[in-house]
Amino acid sequence: MRTKKNDHGAYVRKIQEGTTSFTQDLLGEIERLHLLVAALEAEREGLTERARDLQETVSANEALRALCASLEAEMNRLHEQAIALRTENERHQKESSRLKAQFEATRAESQRYSARYAEIEQQNSNLANLYVASYRLHGTLERREVIDALQEIIANLVGSEEAGLYEVNATTGDLDLLASFGLPTDWPRTIARGEGHIGRAVAAGEIYVADPAQAAERAPLERELTACVPLSLAGRVIGAIAVFRLLPQKPGIEDVDRELFELLATHAATALYCSGLHAKAQPAETVA
Amino acid sequence: MNSTKKKILVVDDSKTALMMVTTILKKAPYALVTAHDGQHALEVAAAERPDLILMDVIMPRMTGFEACRELKRSEDTKSIPVILVTTRGEEENVEAGFECGCNDYVTKPVNAQELLTKVRDHIAG
Repeated sequence: MRTKKNDHGAYVRKIQEGTTSFTQDLLGEIERLHLLVAALEAEREGLTERARDLQETVSANEALRALCASLEAEMNRLHEQAIALRTENERHQKESSRLKAQFEATRAESQRYSARYAEIEQQNSNLANLYVASYRLHGTLERREVIDALQEIIANLVGSEEAGLYEVNATTGDLDLLASFGLPTDWPRTIARGEGHIGRAVAAGEIYVADPAQAAERAPLERELTACVPLSLAGRVIGAIAVFRLLPQKPGIEDVDRELFELLATHAATALYCSGLHAKAQPAETVA
Repeated sequence: MNSTKKKILVVDDSKTALMMVTTILKKAPYALVTAHDGQHALEVAAAERPDLILMDVIMPRMTGFEACRELKRSEDTKSIPVILVTTRGEEENVEAGFECGCNDYVTKPVNAQELLTKVRDHIAG
């Protein structure tokens, strides 16, 4: 009987021990599960946090994508604008080239006009010279005034500081010095017919303009000779103007001087001849 | 109309030179008065009060240098610009002109463009 009781007690103890062990295992399992739940809770929170982060990243990514899209659209717009600007730039460059060419053409034309204007001004000035010379020569019948006018023309319009006015001697054909300025007082009063450049110019009836480079080859009296203008009337030479030294600032005989010489060749001859006739007529008129 | 024109006194004993200069200046809008020597120039300048005097150097009675000196000595005429027309453009001649108080000079034979430019410069200044 005691054995039975002992067996029963062992059994109960065994059960108790088993239950205790089971309970402890269960408690351990519960503890483990608690820990697992806590870990899972922590993981869930981490994942939630991560999901939120991912959500934010996705949102940021979407915003970036939208920004990229708008930037691409802006880039496309700018690209189109660049193409338009390039086209406009090319058009402007063409226009600029056209305007530059037009400007160059205008400038060239302006220069042509300026040159033409200067040329016309020079012609006007030359004509004024000729007008003044002609007016002065024919403005009087007084021989003295004609001679003075001739000298003034040579001094002021040609720019000479030495000149002589010669008249052909009707008897000898030589040239007699009628008036002069700037020449030495002992200057020869007569030049023989055909003598030197002056005599030869008178004989030929042609204007002589001396070459300054050949001054040394000329006779001493004609070394400073610049020009000789025979004065002709109806094909007959009645005198001559010999222009010697020019003013220092006058570089040489110019076209306007040659035109003036041409004018003097005939007009001075006429003026001298008319004033001579007038002088001869004066006493007769006085007597009458 | 004439009252607005600047007045220029041209002085030269040579009728040809006088006529030449007046012919050149007539093209521009100037009123011209003339005198035939230095002494006469002083009288005309005092009476007419020109805006500019263009004067030859070598003249009887009173040379351009003397007349220029007198003009610059007078309170009434000293401010009038004087351009001398010299036969010789050499340095000593030009210096003599400036010593007399001239404002500028041109040489003979007178170049129309040069003359007009100098006249314009002095009248404008």
